[in-house]
Amino acid sequence: MRGSIIILVRIAILAALLAAWEALPRLGLVNPMLLPPLSDVLKTLVTILGRADVHEALGVTTAEVVVAFIIAVPLGTALGVLAAENAYFGEIFRPMLFYVFSIPKSIFLPMFILVFGIGFPQKVAYATFSTIFIVIMSASAAVESVKAEHLLVAQSYGATPAQILRRVYLPSMLPILLEALRISMIFNFTGVMIAEMYAARTGIGHMIANWGENFQMPQLFAGVILLAAAAMLFNEAVRALENRCSIWRT
Amino acid sequence: MQHMANMSAVRDVSLTPAVDVRGLSHVYAGREGAVPALSDIALEVPAGRFVVIVGPSGCGKTSLLMMLAGLRRPTSGTILCDGRPIAKPDPARVGVVFQEASLYPWLTALDNVEFPLALKHAPREERRARAEAMLKLVGLEGFGTRYPHELSGGMKQRVSIARGLMQDPPVLLMDEPFAALDEQTRMTMGHELLRIWSQTSKTVVFITHSLTEAVYLADEVIVMSARPGRILDRIAIDLPRPRTYQMMATDLFGRLRERIWEQIRTVP
Repeated sequence: MRGSIIILVRIAILAALLAAWEALPRLGLVNPMLLPPLSDVLKTLVTILGRADVHEALGVTTAEVVVAFIIAVPLGTALGVLAAENAYFGEIFRPMLFYVFSIPKSIFLPMFILVFGIGFPQKVAYATFSTIFIVIMSASAAVESVKAEHLLVAQSYGATPAQILRRVYLPSMLPILLEALRISMIFNFTGVMIAEMYAARTGIGHMIANWGENFQMPQLFAGVILLAAAAMLFNEAVRALENRCSIWRT
Repeated sequence: MQHMANMSAVRDVSLTPAVDVRGLSHVYAGREGAVPALSDIALEVPAGRFVVIVGPSGCGKTSLLMMLAGLRRPTSGTILCDGRPIAKPDPARVGVVFQEASLYPWLTALDNVEFPLALKHAPREERRARAEAMLKLVGLEGFGTRYPHELSGGMKQRVSIARGLMQDPPVLLMDEPFAALDEQTRMTMGHELLRIWSQTSKTVVFITHSLTEAVYLADEVIVMSARPGRILDRIAIDLPRPRTYQMMATDLFGRLRERIWEQIRTVP
């Protein structure tokens, strides 16, 4: 009962916000040049989704995000597991990782441009760099979440190292790893967007930056809606998976 | 009465003890050099006996149990189980029941019980049938599809016992299995364990901090000293079986409990 009321209130707030977005510019209470009405933005969204240059930009951005993700996540996971499992490696690198993690990654962007130029490799390298630290830390935390008694039980039943990995480490770590996947995508996507908005020839981030500079507000808001929807969709998909894999974590 | 037989009598009939520990000592590397943890432990447990080890915290009783399970190597000494040395875990000879929270929370009760046989790649139907039989034995028939978080503390330990019995090992090691339970559940579980024990005729080595539990369960109580752990006393518990709750109120029960307490208390 209480839960359904909360959902209704949420829907009401969302509806009110969207209605305000439509009404305020139309009534002249907000300058429509700065905030175009929602219906105009949605019309623009449909139009730009039909444009070839937007398709190309979306393709490039998707490729950058995906490639950076499939480099950063496995590599970061491997390093994180190593840092947690290997005392020697962990003691050497863990403090360094923590120090670097605290630095805003965007200040390194000019160096990435000097080394990689402003093309695809630079976007991927920078996004990987922005993502990998959170993956390393999460993977370390995931390994540390494995309970000693769970390992002991498996050992006492004569489990091989491979069996311990598959039957104890993996299921223990899975909820934290999925969470890491979700959070690292946020970092990864942000990395690609910053790199594209800072300096690029194509990509949806580059287009959004241009639309902003040229005061093309309907296009700018259409781009924002598109990216927000894509990000939320990925986030919710992984979260659903997370909930399914961790019914026991109550 | 068979359980009253003393050590020499057992040797006379030349039965191989289920557990035979000789000259076991253990030293581990601590922050300030070598720390002696166990000193010259000799322990013979005849087959079918229920032996309880008590001792102050940190006396190395859990270490000793880990060594009996083949999970840890002693610095010196030998451990024989059924006449053969234990160098690594051998679940077909020695089953272990751990303290609470040793069940895998992502597996159902049935899958937890099946775990040891799943590691051995036993056929699915065979291990399912065996696991169901074990759950029935521990009084959890019909609870197989529950996850550990859906079970009470006592039920979880019943699942752990079922898992320990899965490969039908002659020896069952139990490391404070009921320590996390409330008093009533603990008494019930002790009683249940004796029922399961009498139905399976296992050799049990059981660690506890509860002197009442020790006297109630044991054929023999081994009292260990503070670190380095040595065996201070072995006390035959001459209470008849089956044990009943009423026995706790008897003079004999009180005297036995007192004798253990004296030993532990006088050790600094």
